[in-house]
Amino acid sequence: MAADTSDVTAGFGQVSRTAGRVFRALLLAATLFGIVFVTILLLYVANDAIQPLTADPGWHLTFFLTLVVPTAGVGAFVYRRSQAAFQTGMLALGFVAVALLFSGGAAMLFIDIVRPLTWLAVVVALAVPAAIAVGVTAYDQRLPFLARFGVTTAAFYLSLFGLPGPLGTVASWLSQLGLPIPLGATLGSVRLVPSVVDVVSGVPVAPAPWLMLVATVGGPIGVVAGHAVARDRGRRARVAASSAFLAVVAVAGVVGPAVGVTPVPAVVVAAVGVVPPAAYAADVAVNAPRERVGLAVPATVIVGSLVGAGIVSVVGLAGPQSWVDWAFLTSAHSTNAESAGFYPSIGGSILLMLSVAVLAFPVGVGAAIYLEEYAPDNWLTRVIDVNISNLAGVPSVVYGLLGFGLFVTHLNRPAGTVLIGGATLGLLILPIIIISAREAIRSVPEAQRAASDGMGATKWQTVRNVVLPRSFSGILTGTILALGRAIGETAPLIMIGAPTIKFSLPTQVSETVTAMPLQVYAWSSLYATPDFYTKVVPAGVVVLVTVLLAMNSVAIVLRNKYQSHD
Amino acid sequence: MSGDDLEAALTTRTQNAPSELLSRSFFFLCAALSIVTTIGLIALLATEAAKFFTFSAPLVGVDGATAGIVEFLTGTNWDPTNGSFGVLALVSATLMVMIGSSIIALPLGLGTATYLSEYASPRLRSVLKPALEILAGIPTVVYGFFAVIYITPALGTVLPGLSKFNMLSACVVVGIMIIPMVASISEDAMSAVPDELRQAGYGMGATKLEVSTGVVVPAALSGIFSSFILALSRAIGETMAVTIAAGSTARFLNIIDPGAYTESALPMTAAMVKLVKGDVTGGGLAYRSVFAIGATLFVITLVMNIVSDVIAHRFKEEY
Repeated sequence: MAADTSDVTAGFGQVSRTAGRVFRALLLAATLFGIVFVTILLLYVANDAIQPLTADPGWHLTFFLTLVVPTAGVGAFVYRRSQAAFQTGMLALGFVAVALLFSGGAAMLFIDIVRPLTWLAVVVALAVPAAIAVGVTAYDQRLPFLARFGVTTAAFYLSLFGLPGPLGTVASWLSQLGLPIPLGATLGSVRLVPSVVDVVSGVPVAPAPWLMLVATVGGPIGVVAGHAVARDRGRRARVAASSAFLAVVAVAGVVGPAVGVTPVPAVVVAAVGVVPPAAYAADVAVNAPRERVGLAVPATVIVGSLVGAGIVSVVGLAGPQSWVDWAFLTSAHSTNAESAGFYPSIGGSILLMLSVAVLAFPVGVGAAIYLEEYAPDNWLTRVIDVNISNLAGVPSVVYGLLGFGLFVTHLNRPAGTVLIGGATLGLLILPIIIISAREAIRSVPEAQRAASDGMGATKWQTVRNVVLPRSFSGILTGTILALGRAIGETAPLIMIGAPTIKFSLPTQVSETVTAMPLQVYAWSSLYATPDFYTKVVPAGVVVLVTVLLAMNSVAIVLRNKYQSHD
Repeated sequence: MSGDDLEAALTTRTQNAPSELLSRSFFFLCAALSIVTTIGLIALLATEAAKFFTFSAPLVGVDGATAGIVEFLTGTNWDPTNGSFGVLALVSATLMVMIGSSIIALPLGLGTATYLSEYASPRLRSVLKPALEILAGIPTVVYGFFAVIYITPALGTVLPGLSKFNMLSACVVVGIMIIPMVASISEDAMSAVPDELRQAGYGMGATKLEVSTGVVVPAALSGIFSSFILALSRAIGETMAVTIAAGSTARFLNIIDPGAYTESALPMTAAMVKLVKGDVTGGGLAYRSVFAIGATLFVITLVMNIVSDVIAHRFKEEY
């Protein structure tokens, strides 16, 4: 017995650490495997698309000296002074990149899809009833809700659609189905009262397109940016800041033609791509003096790129023969790999994304609010709950079948249009939006709801004034991620019969549309020649992945910022 | 009037105010849309698939060529242009994708989840989790392209008999694609294991390795299994990567024969895309078979999702 005890005590408290270390290393390897694997593939495809090694060594040297060295130096300096400032600087840099990317998309929208006059008409048509609604409320506070609601709804409907508008179309459908509706067949085609949109877009004399865009795009963005920058400094400062931002947009329209850019894209890029990052920089500079030094990082990058580009063009050093070039981004498909472009698919993806957002966002958030705030604990709620998680697991290709069968076969709509694509993708991401919005709403502290209830607020007032503002950034994050999923989807678009090749952008929601992933699929299946595989497809993949990474990183940054503030 | 009546009268009045009723019914309609979607989906798949089968086609008023449901479900030859519709040829390819991708994704995903939940410092986690999220955000069509252009040539240097389109590289990319799903759901389950259990393990003299594998993983097993099943169902429904990478020849392969993975095959989803993309014209029997495959796919994934849900809730450890 004595010998046994000593055997036990001899090894007691001693554990080999080897097994634990090996296990830990294995787990880390497992974690990194997928990330590293995909990163390598992405580097490969970027190399194929951009071909950095075809550039003149002098080109690399120039940018190394003007861009890489100063950025590294300034970055290290800022990082050592203050990590918070460094983070702000990197955020500003990312903001510049993302804003410029999206401004390109917005410019495309106004050049080829929406006529500036139509846009102005829609803005006016929304502004008029909004003014009426505000006026009605101001006229008599005690007006019954239903009266206010009725007037507002009617004003919006009249202003946007006129009479009979879409209700007439619905009536004519129903009468085709055999329902007894007086004048049913004619209601779809006649127009009794023109809408504000028609009136404004039909005016014979209109200001120059870029001036309309300065007012309708630059105006709101300038006001929002100005208020954000000068929020603590009184009304006069806010007006001054807003006017300054508006002036930047207007100047771009004047200066643009002088440097070879037509005024419309110049105005849009200034409004969407330049003003927001500038406002962010101004906000940091004015309101966060400790982080001001961080702005040196984006400044160095921007100045370095401009100086480098200047030197390269003066000395005449050849850049890389990238397949992702201006011609690729602005031309349509071609059977010849060298001249094939991505333009119609980029525009198609933007349109699809907008229609998905318009269709799915309100419904998804509404469902989430119902399930979190209103739903009683009964069988119906549980059915909806289980049903949503099951819908999230239905393969996307089956949603494509749903879209095709429902809209094309049964409702006789033309196949592959923007509207059907948007509706199908909207149904696809609806469960994702609902699930993430529910999480965001659930994270609003119960005490705040109780406080609102305690002050006598009704349920809807609590939702509107407490729950939605507090959970908004979380909802936005989930929606952006879901929209990223939607524009990366290919299979549903194939199923609803979207054309893989289009040469122009759709200008109406009832026109057929192609999208970036669909175009990549077409190139890698229908045109599977080595030429396409090594030139065009990598270029398309790089553009698609860049857009998605930009969207996802915006969402993730937004969430991190919002979580740390809580 | 007693206090209760007063309160009821006051709250009823505010609860049934028009603005309250309107907002509540709008939110309810939004939530009810999901039920409508499901009913529409099931009704559509059922009626359209019914037009395909011999026994049900007369019921929905279709005359013309039809296919027997027994041949559909048990046949092993898929050749729509010649009228043979044996879905097992497609199912075998889909099962191969599921098996092959799970060999990659399940261990790696579980390892990732364990590392993130038990080992990683908060700082490292804050980098790795967004990286995984971005991995999950890359479109599947891009993965398909990667499989054909980079992975197949790379694998071809090791396996000389590899055909240009093959199941192996499709399995690899689908596996990589579903790692984040396994990892994030399993990690949630592991993080939910209360710290007391870990502390009890340490108190008994267990090492970190023993606590992780002997305490945390068993305690989170229901969540881990449900993540596995969800990931497998995702692999089954995955479309673009397999359409581009796996080839377009339908054949019935032995799913447990490793050699079969070097050949090309046609999974269910890829067959649907192939049919719609035009080797058959609209309205014909081959075209209607798309809905029959779709219904089969829907039933399989639905059953897997329900099983995953049941496992997650029924077998959940209560602490």
